[in-house]
Amino acid sequence: MTDVRAPEADPFESAAEPDDNRPVGPRSAFGLADWLKWAWRQLTSMRIALVLLFLLALGSVPGSMLPQEGTNPAGVQQYYTSHPALAPLLNHLGLFNVFGSPWFAAIYLLLFASLVGCVVPRTFRLVGSARALPPRAPRNLARLPRFAEYGAALAPAPAADVAAKVLAGHGFRLRRPDGAAPSDGTWLSAEKGYLREVGNLLFHLALLGVLVSVALGGLFGYKADRLLVQGTTFADTQSALDEWYPGHFVTAADLGPFTITLNQFEATYITSGAQRGQPVAFDAHISYTASPGAATRTDNLEVNRPLSVDGAKVYLIGHGYAPVFKVTDARGQVVYDQATPFISGTSGNFLSQGVVKVADAQPQQLGFTGVFVPTAIEINGVLQSAFPAADNPVVSLIGYAGNLGENSGVPQSVYQLNTAGMHRLTAAPQILQPGQSLKLPNGQGTITFTGYVPWVSLTITHDPGQLPALICGMAALGGLLLSFMVRRRRVFVRVRPNGTQSIVQVGGLARIDASGGFETEFASLAAELKAAHDHSQHEGE
Amino acid sequence: MFKARRRVVVLVAAVCVGAALAGVLLSGWASGGSGTETDVAGSTNAVLYSAGHRPLAPDFTATTLTGSQLSFRSYRGRVVVVNFWGSWCAPCRAEAPTLAVTAEQYRSAGVAFLGVDVRDNTASALAFTRDLDVPYPSVSDSSSQITLDFTAVVPIAGTPTTLVIDRTGHIAGAVFGTATSQELTDILAQVTGKTAG
Repeated sequence: MTDVRAPEADPFESAAEPDDNRPVGPRSAFGLADWLKWAWRQLTSMRIALVLLFLLALGSVPGSMLPQEGTNPAGVQQYYTSHPALAPLLNHLGLFNVFGSPWFAAIYLLLFASLVGCVVPRTFRLVGSARALPPRAPRNLARLPRFAEYGAALAPAPAADVAAKVLAGHGFRLRRPDGAAPSDGTWLSAEKGYLREVGNLLFHLALLGVLVSVALGGLFGYKADRLLVQGTTFADTQSALDEWYPGHFVTAADLGPFTITLNQFEATYITSGAQRGQPVAFDAHISYTASPGAATRTDNLEVNRPLSVDGAKVYLIGHGYAPVFKVTDARGQVVYDQATPFISGTSGNFLSQGVVKVADAQPQQLGFTGVFVPTAIEINGVLQSAFPAADNPVVSLIGYAGNLGENSGVPQSVYQLNTAGMHRLTAAPQILQPGQSLKLPNGQGTITFTGYVPWVSLTITHDPGQLPALICGMAALGGLLLSFMVRRRRVFVRVRPNGTQSIVQVGGLARIDASGGFETEFASLAAELKAAHDHSQHEGE
Repeated sequence: MFKARRRVVVLVAAVCVGAALAGVLLSGWASGGSGTETDVAGSTNAVLYSAGHRPLAPDFTATTLTGSQLSFRSYRGRVVVVNFWGSWCAPCRAEAPTLAVTAEQYRSAGVAFLGVDVRDNTASALAFTRDLDVPYPSVSDSSSQITLDFTAVVPIAGTPTTLVIDRTGHIAGAVFGTATSQELTDILAQVTGKTAG
């Protein structure tokens, strides 16, 4: 923020305007209305605005350090497990949902009110000062920070006219005496640098705009996640999304009716050296239709190169492997034949975990917990992955039979197997290579690892506040620069008669000379004024 | 100037109140009902659309789980119950017997049942229909395209969702979530004019 926010005492203005901020009347009459006025003045002061801005920044810190309900509910669960004493307290303080918590909203709204309360009076002041003329020239210009004096061979009135022409040519706003020039000479006031206030106002308005834009995004935007297996298609409708976080005013009908097919996903990795296994590039080759019946287009999603479709942006944010399993039950019927997405942790070269649930196997439901290893090696009897690409893929499976617990109608995670009602079919994990089968004991069926396909996770976002926020951010920066670089400055000229000639006094005053340079500007102006007077003098000869 | 300051305070207060009012109005407008649908008695997730305000169901052609082509238009002239389900969906599994029984009850009344199998795989879906003795056909909607088409006229949030479509192809009633026998028979009685037989 800049220096010129609603100053309580403004030496620059005090000469022209009476101080209107001080409450009038006896002190004992400081009632409720006065308290409210006092509170409002405090709220709209720059100090409080800065404190609020700081609190807003401080308040977002737990939002990025702690797992948040909206974006990472699993992380919150995890936190509850690992910090059983602390988690309920943090939850009580709203620290797992920072951006939706009342205290965050309070800071946000107070900052908003503070800015509005600052900008509105400031606008009135700017309009007022834009209309007001500069003050009359002080009597003793020599007291001003900048001063120059020289003789001119012109009478006071034409000398003042010449000075007016020069200053007007530099974009100064001028004020001349109202009536006829007094006998002891005449004067001229000139003022420049109104853009400083304009820049300042622009900065504050743009800051408000940023807040409004962020609110717009929160109320009218949405975010959704979808895991898409290679070779499959999804339509952007709520039931086809894995996660869906709509803004307050967003309904499922606001989703863009596009469909996306993942034709092929390629990941390339560094194959040698110290960087071995680091990703080089991810390419998701997709085809999409913007709306039902529209032409099919193709595109290539990369990290940070999203697809823009129907007002939404589709980002490629992750990938993994989906081993394909085929399960036949005791009757010899195929009861499962599909790619099953397995999820990898953050490390381990895409060593991924997943489950297979075969709810319609007879005579008993079947379940498998599995590990997919893209490049399998055995170290001390432990299966590990040596490389993220699938150079030597294997799966390791543990089979269960019994009741999956789904028939009661309670929804389950597709990544977790509830083994409470099941018994383990094999003592040790069974390792399969592509094409290999595992015969289940007691003729319960067969599971075949037929192959694998990649999957990608996509995030679909719609943020109507993004563009306004960008524009406002740039406007705020422009306003700030303007208010830093432009100085409000006044130049006064007094011309006193000296026989038939005159003595010209030039005084200068800059409001805040933070960036310096007024000294130079004044010197050059004074020199120009003198030159103009000398020139007129020669013309007059 | 004191007056001018007060005027500013009043103005800012008015802006704040106005914004708050606008917010309340907007949220009311977003969540307010249109008055063209009524809840089915004793149910929180079933609705009946009043005649004249029934949304027209989209037409679609799709492949059934057994591999034949099915045109939804061929159901015109019959009351049809469309159930969105998936073999992976536990509530659908719990709901399946209710739908099977209701389908049998309304067979003589000429009511057809059709499943839309969402985000699923044919092998698992067929196993589901065999295992749970689903007596009516289902079309595959692995890409959710059919769901998307219907979402344009009714707010389908997920599976299970059951729609009752009248003889003219308009959606007369809907159950969002697991349908009970009571909800289905209430809607079907309204649409067919007959009770279960």
